[in-house]
Amino acid sequence: MYFFSTIICRISHVLLCNVTQRVSFWFVVTDPSKNHTLPAVEIQSAIRMNRNRINNAFFLNDQTLEFLKIPSTLAPPTDPSVPIWIIIFSVIFCIVIVAVLLLILSGIRQRRRKSKGPSEVDDTEDKCENMITIENGIPCDPLDMKGGHINDAFMTEDERLTPL
Amino acid sequence: MEKARPLWANPLQFVFACISYAVGLGNVWRFPYLCQMYGGGSFLVPYVMMLMVEGMPLLYLELAVGQRMRQGSIGAWRTISPYLGGVGLASVVVSFFLSTYYNIINAWAFWYLFHSFQDPLPWSVCPLNDNHTGYDEECEKASSTQYFWYRKTLNISPSIQDSGHVQWEPALCLILAWLVVYLCILRGTESTGKVVYFTALLPYCVLLIYLVRGLTLHGATNGLAYMFTPKGWFSSPVPCLALQLEQLANPKAWINAATQIFFSLGLGFGSLIAFASYNEPSNDCQKHAIIVSLINSSTSVFASIVTFSIYGFKATFNYESCLNKVILLLTNSFDLEDGFLTASNLEQVKGYLESTFPDKYSEVLPQMKNCSLQSELATAVQGTGLSFIVYTEAIKNMEVSQLWSVLYFFMLLMLGIGSMLGNTAAILTPLTDNKVISSHLPKEAISGLVCLVNCVIGLVFTMEAGNYWFDIFNDYAATLSLLLIVLVETIAVCYVYGLRRFEGDLKAMTGRTLNWYWKAMWAGVSPLLIISLFVFYLSDYILTGTLQYQAWDASQGQLVTKDYPPYALAVIGLLVASSIMCIPLVALGTFIVRCLKRGDTPPVA
Repeated sequence: MYFFSTIICRISHVLLCNVTQRVSFWFVVTDPSKNHTLPAVEIQSAIRMNRNRINNAFFLNDQTLEFLKIPSTLAPPTDPSVPIWIIIFSVIFCIVIVAVLLLILSGIRQRRRKSKGPSEVDDTEDKCENMITIENGIPCDPLDMKGGHINDAFMTEDERLTPL
Repeated sequence: MEKARPLWANPLQFVFACISYAVGLGNVWRFPYLCQMYGGGSFLVPYVMMLMVEGMPLLYLELAVGQRMRQGSIGAWRTISPYLGGVGLASVVVSFFLSTYYNIINAWAFWYLFHSFQDPLPWSVCPLNDNHTGYDEECEKASSTQYFWYRKTLNISPSIQDSGHVQWEPALCLILAWLVVYLCILRGTESTGKVVYFTALLPYCVLLIYLVRGLTLHGATNGLAYMFTPKGWFSSPVPCLALQLEQLANPKAWINAATQIFFSLGLGFGSLIAFASYNEPSNDCQKHAIIVSLINSSTSVFASIVTFSIYGFKATFNYESCLNKVILLLTNSFDLEDGFLTASNLEQVKGYLESTFPDKYSEVLPQMKNCSLQSELATAVQGTGLSFIVYTEAIKNMEVSQLWSVLYFFMLLMLGIGSMLGNTAAILTPLTDNKVISSHLPKEAISGLVCLVNCVIGLVFTMEAGNYWFDIFNDYAATLSLLLIVLVETIAVCYVYGLRRFEGDLKAMTGRTLNWYWKAMWAGVSPLLIISLFVFYLSDYILTGTLQYQAWDASQGQLVTKDYPPYALAVIGLLVASSIMCIPLVALGTFIVRCLKRGDTPPVA
């Protein structure tokens, strides 16, 4: 940059030669005041620094516009402080751990409920003895009292139990 | 009070479980390779025949045994004959080996999935070297996808002897993979039954999307044409039909078809028996066996169409880049007009330049690569190389590559986890059936212990030499043992238990008579086939002499062949022996125990 602050070059100072059918040519830049060509090294470093501007002017890039003997500077790798994959990994890892813990806890709770379940059934059985048993919508106790004759053919008290 | 055996909520869950177990990574990365090796269309003939003769009958047999015995593999075979409990134990041992090394593939799939959310994809560009003056040397010699696989993912060592240390990144992914598997099998069939809806159906959605995308890619038809054309078609003037028949006469095609059907269905691991044991006894397992085997095979064909359209795209892309490089080189050297040289007139112009400027042409000639579409297509790859190197290379050239990458690795994960559910079920079902263990530990604790043990052993595969050990397990842990296990299973059901008795059981259970076809296959054809496969494998191992493996050479940027060291050979021998020896040892042990019992108790008067 500092070259162009002291020397103002115009198009007339850039001389072409060896123009071929292919869009390629050799060029030199002449110094307007001293009437000699500027050294190649200075031009090369100037082009290197302004590569982007030159490319954009032609809507080209480093692959389509080549300056021989001027290697393109490779873009430095973008290294974020935390690699992206670790972020995604941590998110999924946390979700899975939470899901596993939820399933295990709900399994433990289910098992505790089942083990409490039979002991609750025992309490209700005690209460049942005081309740009237109902079968087919008819309470059992009255059946013994009313309605129904005793069939003597089946009920001979002597022979109820066979002797050993 | 005895706890009722857990059941599948509906028969559809059982079918999906079998499908997600059988349809695995082998359908995606082994079958397309076989198709390519044995001439595409003509390979389907031995494949379908083996499916009819070997796949369906053996699948039906395993499902029927599991549904009838209503126990895991150990209990089921012990019920068939007390001396055959060893068959079940051998299945459990093989399943244990399989689940140890299979989950590392899921870990790699997770790794690639997490790295797919970057722009540009990390395997599409080479990283810079230390000076930032150029690209990394290893990456230049190999390709960026190979570099990412061998260096960034595996950090592979030059040989199996240099074990290195455990890499923390793949180890984290392995732990996550095991946590996900644990989450799915935690509650037994209750949780597994719901998960299999996803693991069975989602891969098909992704495959369908990829099919549509693949067929619309530029150059896809080249790949498809290559797949369906028998080998040698382009070079020989012999008519097409004769070549197809020639492939059929190749015994290797038939052997590979039989092997592929056998391993693709996952027979002999005990997983199918485990799944079927959770069925209602009246379930129609014949219908399910036919459905599962047909779906498995058609998925293989479907996946290979997708794979070959992607191959075609990749090969065409590489071929055109190669041509463009040659065009650029010639344009630069001879200062031709831009756009003058195109792919169509390249040969003519090359001839013209060679005649007009012979000296300059001979200078440029060594730098010009010979571009050939055929050689690009002929790179037949199988296994992890296909998924993690070839596919990623194709994906990086697609538009919106992040989306395709995420979809693809998500599909691989679903396939892998679906298979893992079956593998772990094969180990857990015998353990939970065992009254001693299940009375002391709840189901969740048993599953947790199994996952923990497998995870810790699996950390071996995250070391620098881990991929070499993975190849050992992949090639030797299951192959010979499974053939023997299924052979003993078939003979046990047909001759020890009795085919007529089994037929009566099935009729009582399902209400359907057994078709003569199944009886013929079980009693005769399938055992003969398995014996011939077994003999072939043994002779192949013996004739090959020393076993060799492919090691990655970082200085050259390619794979080199090396011999296994003695201790690796010992491990291979142990792997095979530990599962096979279960069968005779348990039979012998049972015999001794029975003799002792008979000696102790005097006969009743």
